[in-house]
Amino acid sequence: MNMQIDSEYRPDAVVVGGGIAGLQSALDLADQGLKVLIVERQPSIGGHMIALSKVYPTLDCASCITTPKMSAAAHHENITILTNTEVKAIKSADGMHRVELLQKPTYVNFDKCIGCRQCEYACDSEYPDPFERGLGTVRAIAVPFTNAIPQKAILDAEHCGTCGTCARVCPTDAIEYDQQPRSLTIRTDAVIVASGFLLNDIHLKPQYNAHRNKNIIDSLTLERLLAPHGPYGRVLRPSDGKIPTSVAFVQCAGSRDESIGVPYCSRVCCMYAIKQAMLLSGSLPLADITIYYMDIRAFGKGYEQFYQNAKAMGINFARGKVARIEPVSSGDLSLHVESTEDALNPLQEHRHDLVVLAQGMIPGWNPTVDTPVTCASDGFVETPMLTAPTITNAPGIFVAGAAAGPKDIVDTIAEAGAAAMQVSQYLFQKRSPVLVG
Amino acid sequence: MSDQEKKQQEHEKDLAEFECGEPGRDEEAHVQRQIEIAKGPMETLHLKPEIAHVHDGVTPQLKVGVYICRCGGNISDVVDVEKVAETARLIPGVCVAKVHTFVCSDPGQHLISDDILQENLDRVVVASCSPFLHEQTFRGAVSRGGMNPYLYEHVNIREQASWAHKHDPAGATTKAIRMVAAAVGKLRLAQPLDKIKLPNHRRALVIGGGIAGLKAAADLAGRGIKVLLVEIADQLGGHLNERGRIYPSEHDASEFVSALVTQVRASSNIEILLSSKVSAVSGFIGNFKIVIESLRSDGSTSKMDETVGAIIMATGYRPYIPQNGEFLYKAEPCVLTLPEFIQHMQSLSGDAKQLTYCGQAIRNIGFLHCVGSRQIDGIHQPSPNGALNTYCSRTCCTTILQQALAVRKRFPHTGVFDFNQDIRTYGRGEENYYTQASRQGVVFFRYNGDEPPRVEAATGSRGKDGVLRIIVKDALTWGEELEIGVDMLVLGTGMIPGQITGLIEAMKLAVGEDGFLQEVHPKLRPVELAVNGILVAGTAQAPMNVHETLAAAGAAAAKAAAMFATEEVELNPYVAEVDLSRCSGEARCVTQCDYEGALKMVQVEVDGVMVDRAEVNAGLCVGCGACVAVCPHRAIDLNGWRIDQFEAMIEGLAAEIPHPECSSELVSIQ
Repeated sequence: MNMQIDSEYRPDAVVVGGGIAGLQSALDLADQGLKVLIVERQPSIGGHMIALSKVYPTLDCASCITTPKMSAAAHHENITILTNTEVKAIKSADGMHRVELLQKPTYVNFDKCIGCRQCEYACDSEYPDPFERGLGTVRAIAVPFTNAIPQKAILDAEHCGTCGTCARVCPTDAIEYDQQPRSLTIRTDAVIVASGFLLNDIHLKPQYNAHRNKNIIDSLTLERLLAPHGPYGRVLRPSDGKIPTSVAFVQCAGSRDESIGVPYCSRVCCMYAIKQAMLLSGSLPLADITIYYMDIRAFGKGYEQFYQNAKAMGINFARGKVARIEPVSSGDLSLHVESTEDALNPLQEHRHDLVVLAQGMIPGWNPTVDTPVTCASDGFVETPMLTAPTITNAPGIFVAGAAAGPKDIVDTIAEAGAAAMQVSQYLFQKRSPVLVG
Repeated sequence: MSDQEKKQQEHEKDLAEFECGEPGRDEEAHVQRQIEIAKGPMETLHLKPEIAHVHDGVTPQLKVGVYICRCGGNISDVVDVEKVAETARLIPGVCVAKVHTFVCSDPGQHLISDDILQENLDRVVVASCSPFLHEQTFRGAVSRGGMNPYLYEHVNIREQASWAHKHDPAGATTKAIRMVAAAVGKLRLAQPLDKIKLPNHRRALVIGGGIAGLKAAADLAGRGIKVLLVEIADQLGGHLNERGRIYPSEHDASEFVSALVTQVRASSNIEILLSSKVSAVSGFIGNFKIVIESLRSDGSTSKMDETVGAIIMATGYRPYIPQNGEFLYKAEPCVLTLPEFIQHMQSLSGDAKQLTYCGQAIRNIGFLHCVGSRQIDGIHQPSPNGALNTYCSRTCCTTILQQALAVRKRFPHTGVFDFNQDIRTYGRGEENYYTQASRQGVVFFRYNGDEPPRVEAATGSRGKDGVLRIIVKDALTWGEELEIGVDMLVLGTGMIPGQITGLIEAMKLAVGEDGFLQEVHPKLRPVELAVNGILVAGTAQAPMNVHETLAAAGAAAAKAAAMFATEEVELNPYVAEVDLSRCSGEARCVTQCDYEGALKMVQVEVDGVMVDRAEVNAGLCVGCGACVAVCPHRAIDLNGWRIDQFEAMIEGLAAEIPHPECSSELVSIQ
């Protein structure tokens, strides 16, 4: 795996983000013979997708789809990957971009680390595991997760007890407590912004009271609970480890809602809720599962059929927006809903012991500060050209995936391919204008 | 080295092999496991004599590595993977058997390539998911270890063991063991193979001149790749020409199309054939031979032969046409489809103050969603061809709201009523149409899919509110049955698959249950069809809007450009091979072969006499094995899948797993 770069290194394109959009566009460029640098701010590539349980509508396990792409990128001779690295600025002039990077210290020399995890086993400090959305714990020095790439230990300075054990047990003397942040600048011809999304905050709607009860979780947390290699290996509710018997999905909890500043539809929540409901009914056959929704947006290939299958499986779809969630006794929750189905009793209260809020997608990065890229009023990257929707307002800078608006994996992968094609044309025409018809 | 030291070494090796699972997560069990191993030598596999002979031919240098994947739990929750590893280790020739949480992950792949180098493995088996997902992945991993990739065998113990036998862990485990034994047996007889390399014709055929085809062609040409663009109509642009404005930017659709057409026409890399169709396709990736029939202006047709390296199917969709009488379509003149209504809106003069149709003022208008989409068996009439369109057409909701909003803005005196099951304004900038439509006074009714509204002609002269009555059981008012009078009803018709049966048959393409072209995998290979070198772009695959169609076309172009990155194409070596010493020239194989040109008889000299012998064209042979089955002399066999390898696999599968108590023991482990 190429992880080292020297001052002479000049890739044809820099891809900002190592999630599925960035990986796919990097692979599609590299397969055409172009040199690509992937910059990822997290300790591993793979983005959100590698943390998912299964993916709709095929119900393939997410790891099974993501790991080959991660691995293909890691082994590609035309791809270099820098993890733990942030893009600080992009300065464009004369058709060239100077991408300013900041490599955060990992306190482990990646050239020496062999991923044996001796440090991890020996470490005494633990903290809530960010990969498991805080449900399990991870040692202060650890390989980020089982199928992370690269398989290198990283020390979290904030949680390190500075006991020195890791340095003593490391067989290759890879621990470097004195590492400093390192700035570097890469010159390149083209950039693809594939900086993805974040879920908006579960506490955005105070009337849902997520701060008062641990059994109100967001959808990515449920993904970890559903993953066979997740924190508990099965679905248990966070407050007391009880097996849930009645699960509610609250749709549009972070989207289509002007009161929280997210008026748009996040596009993926209907389908992942249906998928999660199906997986839950598989792992908890006795549980009641209800999806509270306004519209079910099952628009993609095979999605409507997936939705109909879920209905046939006995998953309850209740039309109506949830007004309020109140914690009640023994960790349970009461949902106040206006039902459109019962004329005599429209204001209803339903009790559940686990509630999943469908938080919405917001941009993962704001590129407008120190790059020439502009964003639209929704905060996502602006794409002015109708005939080429991956072109941004900044010449030579392109966009793919959720950085240009909420998108599911299927649509992201297609758009990543399109962005790669746009870049390869841009480079071709820049370098051999005579040949262009 | 003393015996003591040797034992110690072996012992350490055993320990090491168990460490490659997922340490750290469950350390206690892990340590316990190590202690068990440390207690003493492994039980030996007591092979029954008839089983043992299978392994007699094992040459001393055969060193097989077996890797068993937990697949996170997808496999190991059912199959006792440690047991599979322990048993596999007892199969003669197997020198390494390891378990990993995700063998497909980078560390998992490293495990394999490192072992090949350190343990001198010369055969590798991975027991994991479907070969469809990861066979290529692991061939790559063994290649990186310096091994021939065709000395690798993939065993699917997920779909075929853990998923199929969820409720029988012991049985699933036994099956997994047998499958591994079969693979080892097959590998024992495997020969190194090389990919077949053939010249790559770096020119793409794009079938369809709608926006998907135009974009794919423009993208490839912009990259310096030659394109042949074939369109069956006499002009480029497809359906979009007639679709008014494109949401959400509200660009004029025909201006947008003409911009793309201009770009395509201006490129010297693109050759355009209008009024033309592809009538025959043969060959394979890098070397497709195609026949194109073109209609001349005098009505005659001309035929031409072309060679291309890749084919992009951009054949688009057909608009759904309601059956006669469906919601009074064709029975009442004021019932229009959505495309018809868009055309009508465009035909109205810009300063018209009143929405009119056929000279009548439209006081109220209704839009009905999901006509010809989201159909339910027993509720909706199938099309004459028997198809029931159970899918969502993806674009109609937003198009309807765009039109509804346009009516409210241009003709504020016209009342607009919208009848839907769900409003699917999912895309960027689309939700705004819904919000605006609500604010502009569009009235929404919601019906359940299994109770679609009824449409009746109003009684009396033009009715009170309209010439049609729409009767809807409205879910927003708790199922109350309401009656709405309208002068015009617009049916939100969706997309149905294009009529491309001829092409599908000529290229042996797969279609999904929905009738659209079926990609290999929606995420792993989303623009590739099952035939190597044939790609799909746009609505030939599924309903898509303009943005999504352009993205799909770009993705298909990227894949084609990658195929053209090398001088040669590489094909899998699973093709038939003739043993000339056995061939008697009876030509039974040639008669049996379904693939034109793959097998033919040629004259060769044997002992000074010219005789007929079979010859394989490796480029055209698909490795189906039909020839192998009919040869009475076993003179033709399939590389990589030889008959003796099948026999070895069967023996491996049938081999009895030694201890009868084994299965009950497996249950207790679970």
